[in-house]
Amino acid sequence: MIEKYIKTFNSFRTPLLQSLWETLDMMLAAMAAALAIGMVLGFVMFMTGAGGIYRNRTIYFITSGLINITRSVPFILFIIVMIPVNRMILGTGFGVDASKIPLGLIGISLFARFTEQDLLDVNKSIYETSYALGANIRQYFTHFLLREARSSLVLSFTSTTVSLLSYSTVMGIIGGGGLGYLAISEGYYNFNYELMWIIIILMVLIVHGIQTVGNYIAEKLDKR
Amino acid sequence: MNLGRDYLVAGDNLIRLEKVSKDFFIGGEKTRVIDGVDLHVDKKEIFGLVGETGSGKSTILRMMNGFIEPDEGSIYLMDKVLNRDSRRELVKETSMIFQGFNLLGNLNVIENVLLPTRLRKGILKDNVDRARELLSFVGLSDFEEAHIRNLSGGQKQRVAIARTLITNPRIIFCDEPTSALDEKMSYEILKLLKDINESFETTIVMVSHDIGVIKSVCSRVAVMEDGRISELISLSPKGIIPVSYKEAFLSD
Repeated sequence: MIEKYIKTFNSFRTPLLQSLWETLDMMLAAMAAALAIGMVLGFVMFMTGAGGIYRNRTIYFITSGLINITRSVPFILFIIVMIPVNRMILGTGFGVDASKIPLGLIGISLFARFTEQDLLDVNKSIYETSYALGANIRQYFTHFLLREARSSLVLSFTSTTVSLLSYSTVMGIIGGGGLGYLAISEGYYNFNYELMWIIIILMVLIVHGIQTVGNYIAEKLDKR
Repeated sequence: MNLGRDYLVAGDNLIRLEKVSKDFFIGGEKTRVIDGVDLHVDKKEIFGLVGETGSGKSTILRMMNGFIEPDEGSIYLMDKVLNRDSRRELVKETSMIFQGFNLLGNLNVIENVLLPTRLRKGILKDNVDRARELLSFVGLSDFEEAHIRNLSGGQKQRVAIARTLITNPRIIFCDEPTSALDEKMSYEILKLLKDINESFETTIVMVSHDIGVIKSVCSRVAVMEDGRISELISLSPKGIIPVSYKEAFLSD
């Protein structure tokens, strides 16, 4: 039985590598967007939300609302709805690059919400502490908020990454390819169950790897 | 910083509050928490603010360092008017000790002590030497590299005290500095504050609900009731009496 799996693995080595690359390509773009834009939006929500230092209901309502909409539309429908947007931005609605747009948006939304929650978990008196010690607003962010929230942020980013991996598996419907698509199209629809299981195990290993790295970094950073 | 006509010379008053009022929205309703307070704190004084929970004493303290802005009246710190433009500069001449210590858990002991200097000009070699001196002054020389989570409450408060001293503040605000500590630790912290007041001539403003704490160190005390000062009393501090549990029970 094992031999059958090895044989399948060997004969599908090229498409497997190709798909793995497609998955990585989509993931890295979405992760970068989540980190850069999602974190900023998380800070914006934290600062404009209840108890924030720049309380602003309008900005909070709009940011939070957009994030809720992105997260609540069933992802497969979200991908379809985004096709015209992809076309507008990239000139094409399909392919790996087009997949980065919906995946990036979901990554931004997830990590923005995580960031907001992580910042809310930091001791409430930290703004006052920073003020009393003579910090300006920029120093409040860098020396106080970020420093105390950093390990939670790493764990949140790890969770975001794992979620993105699972979201990336359905990108096949707009030609995004990736490991998930290979498992479904070649493995399931083409009755190649060995290939399907190889990919499932591969995905489990990837998730496990991501989580282990995230936990390790978070633990190193957390001295509280 | 141009303080123009608001610059006032007022002798020995280091802190001056003139007809200060503040409203908070509590449960959607506008409530006056500070009601026309006139107050001054002199140089080298240890000034106490006592009162029940909700009497406004902590709000007064936070107005004195500019964290909370009054709705009416004016506050002068070191003869300069405290407002939105001046507060971030003026607060640098002061420091604060909190009930919950408010140390940063991701920094070790000496990094916590050095934090205020990092927020100013950056950490210089002199600052590190000074931080070591202060840690020895508060009795924590051996804990330079220790993590905050491994310290006791009293040790944490001593780190916080070293942190306030690193910038040579003219005023130290203390918000219930001993409330989270047991009797013996409280005594040590109060003794330390008294020493600081004497050796560095630092003015101290202390909020506490513990009458014993106030009586032992303060030279003057304002009693707060419903946002007003109901009584302003001069004390001759009877000194800090070390109390162990044994002594406390046997002395009666």
